Amino acid sequence: MLSSRRTVTLLVVLCLGHVLLISAQVPGKSGSSALNGAAFGAASRIQRMMAGLSDGIGGLWSHYAGLRNASRDNDQLRRQVLDLEGALAAERAKAAKVTSLEEALALQKTVVPPTLAARVIAGNPVPGVMTASLDRGTADGVRPNMGVINASGVIGRVIANPSRSACAVQLLIDRSAAAGATIESSGTNGLVTGGFADGNLRMTLVSSAATIASGDRVVTSGQDGFYPSGFLIGRVAQVSGTGKNREIVVAPAVDFGRLDVVLIVLAAPPVADVKAKRP
Amino acid sequence: MKTTRVMAIVLGSVLLQVALSRYAVGGRFAFDLVLVGVVFVALQTGAVAGMIAGTIGGLALDLLSGTVIGFGGLLKTLVGCAAGALGTQFVVAKASARALIVAGATLAHGLMAAGLQAVIDQTWPRMAWTAMLEQIVINTVVGWTAFVMTESFVGAIARSRSRSRSTWSRRQW
Repeated sequence: MLSSRRTVTLLVVLCLGHVLLISAQVPGKSGSSALNGAAFGAASRIQRMMAGLSDGIGGLWSHYAGLRNASRDNDQLRRQVLDLEGALAAERAKAAKVTSLEEALALQKTVVPPTLAARVIAGNPVPGVMTASLDRGTADGVRPNMGVINASGVIGRVIANPSRSACAVQLLIDRSAAAGATIESSGTNGLVTGGFADGNLRMTLVSSAATIASGDRVVTSGQDGFYPSGFLIGRVAQVSGTGKNREIVVAPAVDFGRLDVVLIVLAAPPVADVKAKRP
Repeated sequence: MKTTRVMAIVLGSVLLQVALSRYAVGGRFAFDLVLVGVVFVALQTGAVAGMIAGTIGGLALDLLSGTVIGFGGLLKTLVGCAAGALGTQFVVAKASARALIVAGATLAHGLMAAGLQAVIDQTWPRMAWTAMLEQIVINTVVGWTAFVMTESFVGAIARSRSRSRSTWSRRQW
């Protein structure tokens, strides 16, 4: 057992060491990237194993329950496929119309970026840090800053140091996350930021003259270089205050607590440019 | 032996935290099993072991989470030292009292994290009090379970030893 004086000395030495370590990284957050990357790679293996185990155990029951309802589900799915085929045909017709209009007006062609499906294998081990690990990495073509979406809307973007078989995604609700956004009804641009205790987002840098109402759809503007334009971020939940003090609360479209399969946008979207080529 | 036990508890809690982080996606559940492990070591072994456990556990978690390295290490070192000192000063023996220390340590850890973040960012961070409360509850329950299990395990070993000793002495007699 160490004496009390030695205990205090040890405490001071350890604390000083930590403070020096922190201050070495804070200005540029550099110097630790390689170490962080290696640690993330090792952790993601454990997380992937754990996700597999948890899915396996859960799958035993769900497969049994699934077998019992297979016939009813089949009928339902057949009907759903028919409905979706109809909807797809209508969307194809619309897309063809858009393409012909773009050609006629000599607009820059809309490019749908390729996506890669990935599974969420874990969250961040530190509570309060809103990142998630996906089971796709550099071997699958994943690079930092690629946008991540799902059927409901925008989730976040890939952050630095993806390993060969896994990557970390900063969720849009993280305190240092932001995305370029547009209010669909009025075309007003702004910036959506996260990190609020209520789990909602806030829209800033919005013109004080713009009319915004609750329920308006907020979509990505594509101007930040991470997310393709037109993807749903959420809906305006509340507008309070006026002028510069106006606060726009946006309820996210995605339920961040129940993420499972997501899509990584493999190509960085081009910066929006809708200027027609002048003859 | 003591060092091995401390290392096993800390590394075990880090592994468990990493493995269970699947249930923390998007802030669904908030828990810090490494903090529970550090307080457990501090109360069982003392302030020095608490400090060392806090340093190792905190740094390991910093590395694995991709946050600023040393941030969690500093906080957990301080919490480990304080919990160990408290446990030694007041001889906290009951599982429920020890669980209360886990709750206090979680609150102190959260507040210190906010304070340190404010120093780094030069602005006071927004506190998620609901998530903090949830973390306190989960950590306290996990800590209480760990302390009760340890008590029962130690008690069972003592009972088995005394039984075998008494049987032996009867035979001798």
